[in-house]
Amino acid sequence: MEPLTQPNEKTIATTRPKIFEVTNLNVYYPDFRAIRDVSLNVAANEITAFIGPSGCGKTTMLRSFNRMNDLIPTAKITGTLLYRGADLYNKTVDPVEVRRRIGMVFQKPNPFPKSIYDNVAYGPRISGKVKKGTEMDDLVESSLRKAALWEEVKDRLKSSALGMSGGQQQRLCIARAIATNPDVVLMDEPCSALDPIATGKIEELMTQLKKEYTILIVTHNMQQAARVSDRTAFFSVEVEEEHDSRTGVLVEEGPTEKIFSNPNDQRTENYITGRFG
Amino acid sequence: MTEPLRSTFDEELEAIKSGILIMSNMVVETIPKGTEALLEGNLTTAQEIIEADDELDALSVSLEDRCYQILTLQQPLAGDLRAVMGALWMNNEIERAGDLMTNIAKATRRIFPEKIPEVVSSLIQNMSNEAQRLLNLSSESYLQGDSGLAAALDDIDDRLDDLNVETVEAIFEKHNDKNLTLNVAVQLALICRYYERIGDHAVNIGERVRYIVDGWTAERTGAARLTDRQKNK
Repeated sequence: MEPLTQPNEKTIATTRPKIFEVTNLNVYYPDFRAIRDVSLNVAANEITAFIGPSGCGKTTMLRSFNRMNDLIPTAKITGTLLYRGADLYNKTVDPVEVRRRIGMVFQKPNPFPKSIYDNVAYGPRISGKVKKGTEMDDLVESSLRKAALWEEVKDRLKSSALGMSGGQQQRLCIARAIATNPDVVLMDEPCSALDPIATGKIEELMTQLKKEYTILIVTHNMQQAARVSDRTAFFSVEVEEEHDSRTGVLVEEGPTEKIFSNPNDQRTENYITGRFG
Repeated sequence: MTEPLRSTFDEELEAIKSGILIMSNMVVETIPKGTEALLEGNLTTAQEIIEADDELDALSVSLEDRCYQILTLQQPLAGDLRAVMGALWMNNEIERAGDLMTNIAKATRRIFPEKIPEVVSSLIQNMSNEAQRLLNLSSESYLQGDSGLAAALDDIDDRLDDLNVETVEAIFEKHNDKNLTLNVAVQLALICRYYERIGDHAVNIGERVRYIVDGWTAERTGAARLTDRQKNK
């Protein structure tokens, strides 16, 4: 396969290159199919929101982008998922390298029980690409600055991350994710445990970060999807009668403004207007 | 996936729709009444119409408040958002149409006690009928969510536009023949313009119906023309 290019070398985009090209992606768990025949493109430096009811496969979809589903031994994937033109699921691709380039921020802030500094330095240290001392200090500072957290924590970098507020912890997790110099940041309901002020900070941060990164976010908060994303993908659940099982499908994907003002599909309309649950 | 939710919200949206239809019907009923007052020189009816416009204004204000309330509290999206935004715009169109009937009632007072020549009054009656028909059709298209009918209003309005030209010509012929004073001729020409404007408001309501039903916006046509012109430069 062709080598994965270094992140951000080619993303100063005037034409918005495609970061992901998903074609007929299916994810199977042992007893059911989580998502069926999803096809979708994601362009660089855009925020794409995945919305849909519980069980629609949006988190499975998100996890497919950095091969987190590999961690479930019984999960099976068919179809293709290209990352910058290269097959992400090719056997020669190292999932750990994938996860470095395609970072993830989870629903609940999950800082390590270490100092603020060590949380951010953790990834770069493991990769061995950054030297201790000034180089690491600079990286920690720039990551915390990008995560809009530096001013709040610069005087207590050695104190435990667990002493921070929830919103700060989540921004620390974002700083930790971007410290490894990723290309893409996946966010799985990053604000669902946060109050409106902390949520506002994360949303503001996302619009800053998209200048450098491509962001995919799963959210249950439709106003959030509307506020931050450039494009929105709506997933829904379909019941397969013959197997008596549920599967997630991509109903439609388009510019966020269009999806929230005049969606093409009645199922999207029903969901975003809160008519059917 | 089939259990309907947000029934209270649905009731509020229905209330807004009813409010628009009530206002529109008020103007639809005022049109023949105002025309009769004009053509018969009935100042009592003219005064009633002027006062009734305050009721329309009050309804319009409360409907506008209601729309703001829904926007704030329910944060409607997609079809719901278009329904509320469309109602806000239509509210304005109907309120303006009501004002035009008030203008006609006021002109009735200015014309009194002069008589309107037969040929002119019959043309004005035709204009009144057309304006009423257009506004009625715009209401119908809103009630039924009929974007086809809504889109047809622009063409249907051509008849009223032609009548306007014809009536104004007849008015100035009568003036030239010394059968109408300049003051009355000008008042009558303005009245023609008022009926013609009611037709335009009906066409605008049709455009809002199309926005609500299909998400179509009139401004896009103009914006597309601009883009074309800029391309061709």
